[in-house]
Parts: sequence; structure tokens; C-alpha cells
Amino acid sequence: MSVSTPDASELDAETAKRAGGSDFAARLPLVPRLALRELRSGLSGFGIFVACIALGVAVITGIGTLADGLLNGFAQQGRTLLGGDITVSRIHRRATAEELAGFGKLGSVSEAGLLRSMARVPARDDQALVEIKSVDNAYPLVGTFELKSGKALADVIAQPATAVVAESLLDRLRLVVGDTFELGGKPIKVGGVIANEPDKIAARLAFGPRVLVSTDTLLATGLVQPGTLIRWRYAITNDDDDPLATDAETLKSFRDAGFIVRDRTNPSPSVTQTIDRLRQFLSLLGLTALLVGGVGVANAVNTFVDRRRASIATYKAVGASQSTVFRVFLTQIMAIAAVGIAIGLVVGISVPLAIPYFVGNDFAIPLAPTLTWQTVVIGIAYGALIALLFTIWPLGQAERVKPAALFRDDVGGSTSGALPGRASLIRTGLVAAALAGLTYAASGTPRISMGFLAGVVVILALFWGLGTLVTYVARRMSRPRRPELALAMTGLAAPGGLTRSVVISLGAGLSLLVAVALVDRSLVAELEGRLPENSPNYFALDINKNDLARFDSEVRSAVPKADVQTAPMLRGRIVELNGVATDKAKAPPEAEWVLRGDRGLSFAETLPKGSTIVSGAWWPANYSGEPQVSFVEDLAKDLGLKIGDTVTVNVLGRNVTARIANLRRIDWESLSINFVMVFSPNTLAAAPYNVLATVRLPKETTAEQEAAVGRAVGRVMPSVTMIRVRDAIEAFAGVFGSVMVAVRAAGSITLLAGALVLAGALATAQRRRIIQAVILKCIGATRRKLLTAHLVEYGLLALIAATLAVLFGAIAAYVVTAFVLEVSFTLSPTAILLALAVSLGLILTFGALGTWRVLAARPVPYLRSL
Amino acid sequence: MSPVIDLQDVHLTLPSKAGAVNILQGITTAFHPGQSIAIVGPSGSGKTSLLMIMAGLERATTGRVTVAGHDFGALSEDELAEVRGRDVGIVFQAFHLIPTMTALENVALPLELTGRSDAIAEATARLGDVGLDHRIEHYPAQLSGGEQQRVALARAMAPRPKVLFADEPTGNLDETTGEQVIELLFRLKDRDGASLILVTHDLELARRCDRVLRMADGRLAEADDAAPATGKREAAE
Repeated sequence: MSVSTPDASELDAETAKRAGGSDFAARLPLVPRLALRELRSGLSGFGIFVACIALGVAVITGIGTLADGLLNGFAQQGRTLLGGDITVSRIHRRATAEELAGFGKLGSVSEAGLLRSMARVPARDDQALVEIKSVDNAYPLVGTFELKSGKALADVIAQPATAVVAESLLDRLRLVVGDTFELGGKPIKVGGVIANEPDKIAARLAFGPRVLVSTDTLLATGLVQPGTLIRWRYAITNDDDDPLATDAETLKSFRDAGFIVRDRTNPSPSVTQTIDRLRQFLSLLGLTALLVGGVGVANAVNTFVDRRRASIATYKAVGASQSTVFRVFLTQIMAIAAVGIAIGLVVGISVPLAIPYFVGNDFAIPLAPTLTWQTVVIGIAYGALIALLFTIWPLGQAERVKPAALFRDDVGGSTSGALPGRASLIRTGLVAAALAGLTYAASGTPRISMGFLAGVVVILALFWGLGTLVTYVARRMSRPRRPELALAMTGLAAPGGLTRSVVISLGAGLSLLVAVALVDRSLVAELEGRLPENSPNYFALDINKNDLARFDSEVRSAVPKADVQTAPMLRGRIVELNGVATDKAKAPPEAEWVLRGDRGLSFAETLPKGSTIVSGAWWPANYSGEPQVSFVEDLAKDLGLKIGDTVTVNVLGRNVTARIANLRRIDWESLSINFVMVFSPNTLAAAPYNVLATVRLPKETTAEQEAAVGRAVGRVMPSVTMIRVRDAIEAFAGVFGSVMVAVRAAGSITLLAGALVLAGALATAQRRRIIQAVILKCIGATRRKLLTAHLVEYGLLALIAATLAVLFGAIAAYVVTAFVLEVSFTLSPTAILLALAVSLGLILTFGALGTWRVLAARPVPYLRSL
Repeated sequence: MSPVIDLQDVHLTLPSKAGAVNILQGITTAFHPGQSIAIVGPSGSGKTSLLMIMAGLERATTGRVTVAGHDFGALSEDELAEVRGRDVGIVFQAFHLIPTMTALENVALPLELTGRSDAIAEATARLGDVGLDHRIEHYPAQLSGGEQQRVALARAMAPRPKVLFADEPTGNLDETTGEQVIELLFRLKDRDGASLILVTHDLELARRCDRVLRMADGRLAEADDAAPATGKREAAE
């Protein structure tokens, strides 16, 4: 054997290559070089780790990509959806000739009038709430309006008193093309059925089917009177890249005249905001899936560290510092996490893009596949932070492996119970803070997001504690006499056993599912069944102020004990708060809706029923001084308004400034007539206005009698729009139902993450279980006894996890319903039973698969390896 | 000549469920550079614990431990690791090679950790020293027990340490292979002028060392029944 030393430099590169390394690897700094060598052990044991990270990243990226696609589709199709490059709209008052000329300077103009009214079929005394739209010859400026008959729209509606309608109206009123119905008491012929209305989404939430007529036909119905709630909308097309930059001065003059201006880049701010909110909320559910999956990550890292204890001790024995060991293994694990993140990104990006191919592009908004760097970065950041959060702790424990273990033949032991070093505790804290910071930054509603995150962390911590408690109790219970039960208890009490992992993974996943299900049920119950005790049956719009007595008598003719409440109503837009234009004012998200678009305005001599003054004083009778207004307390607080401040509203194109005299508290849920702003009568009484009424019917009123009220009013007051509260709520419940499908789907992903963690935990314990079963078989245990022991152990775990999940889920759902959504909480037994069934089903399925292998194991190979 | 290892009244007490156990009870001794010392004694007598303390892998409860001029009591965990990487080599009974690294990479590891740019070349030479230059690309699982121990020896000697510790280095090997490894161990130690501290149950092997110490009940004494066969002891002292 040679003891000579060859020339080092000559050998270096050559031997590195021969040793299976590359020039690249040989030139890497120490830590990545060693991590690269460690990676040769492959992804074995990291399947669940990769799956957990991939799943969470896929959900977060998928939701982001879908939202991006919808928003991009919205923007790309903005011109068509809006009906032009710009629209300006104003309620009550049609544009003057001068204003029209102003629009004309910007490009081609098309006028539309939008209002709700009743379509009646007198012969059958039948009626339906409809959304009327009147258009001129220029309509549509953008996109194609199609009729089922294939005829041209202009040709059909140019005929006097002719409308084209949505097919649902024909079904509702049992009409066919060519039949006649009435609008405002005037007969209108059905000239065709709408196949495509390009600018449908630009309209508000539809309570009824569309009826489209020419402007002349609408005016001939007599529905449009001073004070009628009609929105006149003017679509304008021009060829500028930035439609709003065209002529800022002109647009400002439109706004000053009470018009709301929208442009093609954001045809409907409320739809954009809804998509944004939904993205944030579903992303939180994705984050929950990642956090639950984090338990699987931690389990995998623990197992990995236990397997690598000898190597870690060896590193230290040959001179590696704690920090070098930590960095080598962290680099290796993060490289594996990168694989999970990459898979998650690919799935998350491609699934939303594939949706149209599988379910068709049936969204109200066209999906325009798009990829933004923000979505990708957020997906990567969440994946990396969760991987780090759940890796640093077990790696920090591994840092504590003493090289002395190599001498004591103690390398098979576990460090999982030890507390990591101070550096790792600080690192964990920093990563947790970064995660919270990212959630805060990525959320439009930080308060809710942080509360949600804190809730999830508390629930995970509670399940961790409970898992530990179950192990502790099982260890201290007296040993049952029946061997199957004794075996099951041993399984629960085993150090490094399944209990904690299963309780956390299954428990946390199920908790979220129960919470989502219970919130869902509570909201549905609130919307469908639990109308407030005194809620009205009808809202009646556009009652002429001189027709109030007639309205009252018509209602009573159908139901004598009906209670009718009325209030004057105009529509107007807040344009200034304390002299500052609202488009420059910064409102919190929860109060933005007040400043966006028109609000109902009213005036009253005395404090409206159901309101309470919390500060300030109501104006005296016959008040004739400076205009005053009463503002709703919580919104005033959100907008930073106090008594003595001024609010300027644009009503019928005129700016009216009033001083806040008092703040009111109102109960929105009572569905009584409530306005954000109620003015002193001298402020608005001179303006043309109509009256809004609520009709409350006695409890014993039948559905038929309720319908009769609507018909009675419709017969003699065709211009009055009767909105049945129940129908309006059903329309909203329909939209809400689709949203809940998405929420439930995202919630289920968390359970899937829990199932992955569960499968991982069971797989980790598999070898130990097989060896235990082999030994037990050797000393006489039958397969039946082993099976019973497993069933009892898994059954107990499932029961414990599910019971606590129901408890925590119900508490979380109660907090969300009572304090965030402010609706009544309903404890649904179905949701609870479902949770129990899912829990038992999952654990027994995975458990049975494992047990099958345990029972089928041949003892000899295992005995030889012991 | 100042000793390479100097132990002054070293105690090691470890906690246990049955109460504190005194593993080492006031050990005072010194080993000189280039000396080979065998420590023999029954299982549980504290041999390995003493070895761990001298290798900086365990801290003495009380007493002073100086190795290669370093006062171990004054060093942090990471400073001890640095000393091990530079001045100390360890050979284990169970080899403890890193399974994901080739023979060459295992030997290069301590050199890489000290930032040596010629780590691979140096490791190749060290593998040549133990007759394994044809096995550098092999992973531990592809090597026999004897080969693995030779790689472990090459790794221990790679930084040219001042002290080489060996804990039952032939315990997992058959007689012939064990003999070859021991030949190599002494040859390399002599060539590099390192001190060798050898823990063994094998009295024949112990007698090859300059000094034989017997460990019993945590105390260390010269072993008269296992005096070195060559009579080097007296010469060394």
C-alpha cells in the first residue's frame, strides 16, 4: 500500500469527475455541494411532503390564476361588457341636449334607459317583475345583439309598442312570441326572444327577466315620470387607448352634473371587488390546506431526521459545525420543497386554464387565461414559507444530535420530543412572522385575514395539545384485560406513534369542513327561512306621492290587516364629504359601497320607525334653516364623519350640501325602510320624488293572498313596481349558492390535505406495526385479534378527532356567523353527522389498507432483519 | 515535550432515573505526541466515555481537558467541532460513513469542512494510502466491512490529525480483515507522527501499543497484566 502523496492540484478536477461529481458540483460552495450529495438519497420518504406542498400551492395559485383570468377577461371584454369605451349614467334625469352634445364630442353615443317595473297579463291577472331596458337605433355600439329568430333588433323594436324579451319571461307569464302583455297599463307585443345581450353584465343584480324596447315605446308606456327610478345610461365609443384620459375636464363636468362614469378597463367595480374578495377568501382556505399539510411536512422531516441521525452525528464528529449541518439539510429539504412548489405551480396554473375545455366557458364573465407574476410569487412564497416553518423545528431538534451518539449505538433514537436550539426558535418565529406578513400584505381585508390565520393556528395548536393529552392518558390508564384492547391502548400510547399526527391532520381538516358547512347552513337558513319576525312582504317602488291613499286602499282590499309604511325616496350620489371630493377620500373597504354609485335618499319630519338617535338631536318640526342630515352611526364612523360635518349629494344633477345633525343606529336586518341618509324636509321636498312603501301582511296570510296584493296594486297602478321580498332573497340566494360551491370545494381541499397527512403518518408507522404484528403472531396472536386491536385503535382516534373537530368547527362557525357575518347561528345535525362519517370513513379506509398489509406480512423476512 | 492530551482530575457524572451515575471518577493522566495508548477494561467501565471526552464529543462534569493545546472547557460546541476537523481523527467500530457520499467524498468531507481547496486531491491520496484508489466512486453500501473501515481510517487521517482515536476498530470485522486494518492504522499513525488512543477488548491488540491503561469503575490505571509486548512503554516515558 502506498503512503506517498500525489500532487493535489493535478488530481482535483479529474478525480472529482471520476467520483461521479461534475465540474459544476465541484465548484459549488460547501453547503450546496454537500446538500447536492445528500439529495442522492432521492425523494424516498418525501412523497407526502411533496404532495402536501404541491396541493397547497396548487390551490393558492389556482385560485389566483382563475381570478386573474376572470379579471383579465373582464378587462379584455370590457368594451363589449360595458357597451362602449365609456358609459356615463345618471338616475332620474335624462341627459339634456347640451349634455348629449358633450358626449357626442367624445365619439359615437347610444342612449339606454334602465328601470324595474311590472309586466302584466290582465286576462289572467298575472304579473312579473321585469328589468326594462330601452335603447336607441345606435344600440349596441359594441358587440352583437342577437334574437333567436335571427332578425335584426332594430327592425323588431322599431315597430310601435313592441318588445323583445328574455325567454324566462315567456315561461313565467305563459306567453309566446306575438302575444301581448302590459307595461304601465299599455299593451306591448312580444316581438322576439333575446339570444344574446352583449352588455348584460353592466347592469345591476337582475331581479327579473329582461324586457327590451325602443326609447319611444318606453316613453309611450308612461312609466317614466319625474322621480321615477330610471337610470339613463349613455355608451360612448372612441379610439383612445386610455378612455378616461381623453378629456379629463369634460369627464369631470359629467361627474359634476351627477353622472357616474365607467370605462372599459373596469366595467363594473362591484364585480371586480367581488372577484377580489372571493380570491382573498379562497386563498385563505388554500393557506389552511397548506398549514394542515404542514403537519405532513413536519412528520416527513421528523422521519427523515431520525433516519439521518447517524449521518448528522458523523458530520459533527468530523468537524462540521451545528450551523453547517443545519444549512446542509435545510438546503436539501428546501430543494425537495421546490419540487412540490413547482408541481403545485404547474397544476395551479394549468387547471383554471383547462376549465373551459371541461365545463365550458359558462361563467358570466369570459375567462381569459392569463398569468401574473404576483400570483406566481405569492404561490411560491406561501409554499416556501410553509415548508420552512415546518422544517426548521425538526431540523433544529436534529441540530441537537450529539456525535457521542455514534459511540453509544444510540443513532436509532429520536429527537422529536426535544426543544430546538435558540437559533431555530428564533428562525421559526421569523418565518411565522413572514407568513403572517405575507397574508397581511396579500389581503384586502387584513383584519379578517389575520383573525382567520390566528384561528387556524389556535386550532392546530389545540389539536397538537389534545393529541399529546390522548397519548398521556392512554399511557396512564390501567391496562385492559382483553388483549385486543390492551394492544389498541398500546398503539395510542406508543412514543412516536400515530396519535398526535392523526388527531392534528384529521382534526384540523375536519374542523374547517364542519365550520364551512355550518356557516353555509346558517347563511342558507338566514336567507331562506328566517326572515325577521316583522319583515315586510313587499317593497313597492315608484308610487306617485299623490297616489298614496289609493295604494293603501288597494293593498287593504286584498288583505285588510296589511300594514303599509311609506317614505319619500330619491336617488343621489355622495360627491363630497366636508368639501373633499369622494374620489379623493380614502374609505375603508367595508364603507366603500356608500361612496360608490347612487344611494337612496329620503327626508322626514320625525325620526323614522326602528331608528335610535345615538348622538346629536333630530331637527324640530317645520324646520327651515340650513339643510340638515341624519347619518347612520357605524358608516359615519367608518367614513370619519361626526356631528357638524357636511355631506354633499348630487340629486337630479344638482349638488345639495347638508350638515350632519345627528347619528342614528338602525337594524338593517329588520328590512324596514332604512336610509343611510335622511334629510330635513326643507332640503329635498321641492324635488320631484316618488314614494317607497313596505307592505307587511299578518302572519296568517297565505301565499295566494300575498300574490293577490301584488296583483291588486298592479291592476290599477301599473307604474308601481312590487318587489316580493322572498323573490329578491331567492335571487340573491342563487348567486350566493354558486359562491358557496367554490367555498365548499376549497374547504374540502383542506380535508384532502388532512387525508394526505393521515396517509403519510400511517405509512410511517407501517414497518413498526408489521414488526409488532409479526412478534405477536409468533407468540400466538390470531389475525382476528390483531384486526380487532387495529380497528379499536383507529376507531378511537377517528372518534376523538371527529368529536373535537365538530366542537372546534362549531365554535369557529359561531364566531364567523355571529361576529363577522352577523347572522343567527344554526347548528346543523346533518353537517355534524357528515363530519363523523367522513372521519370514520377516511381513517378506516387508510387504516384497513395498512392493516391488510400488516396481516398479510410473512414473519420470516422481518424476523431475520430484527 | 508537552503532552498532546492532558487530563486533570476529570469527572463525568450523568443523570439517570435511578439517580446520578459517576462514570469517570477523577482521571488524571497525560499522553505524549506520537505515543500509542490502549485503554482496556470491562464493558461499562467508562472507556468509551473517556474517549468521547478526549475527542470533545462529551463535556467533563469537572476537571480540565487539554487536547493538542486546546482547553476543551473553554471552547463552544462549534469550536470543538473545528478542533475535531483539524487536529482529531476518529475511527468508529460501526464505521459511520455517510451513505449518500462516495468513498472519496466521505474522505474529503473533513477537509472540505475546513475549507481546503485541494480536498478532493488530498482525499484521493489518502484513499491510495489505504489501498482503495480503485474504489473511490463506490458508495458505502457497495463496499465490504473491511473496505468501509479503511475508508473511515482514510477519513480520520485525511486532515493529518495530531491525535487519532479508535473505538474497537476491528469489532465489526473478521480476524484477517481486522488484522489488515490494524496494520494500516499503525503504519499511518507512525508515518504522520500522530498519537493513537485505542479502546479495545483485545489484549493482543492492546499489547502493540506503547502504553496500556486499564479502566475499572471510572478510574484509570496502568495495566500490569497487559504490558506492551515490545517494551516500548518505558522507552516512551
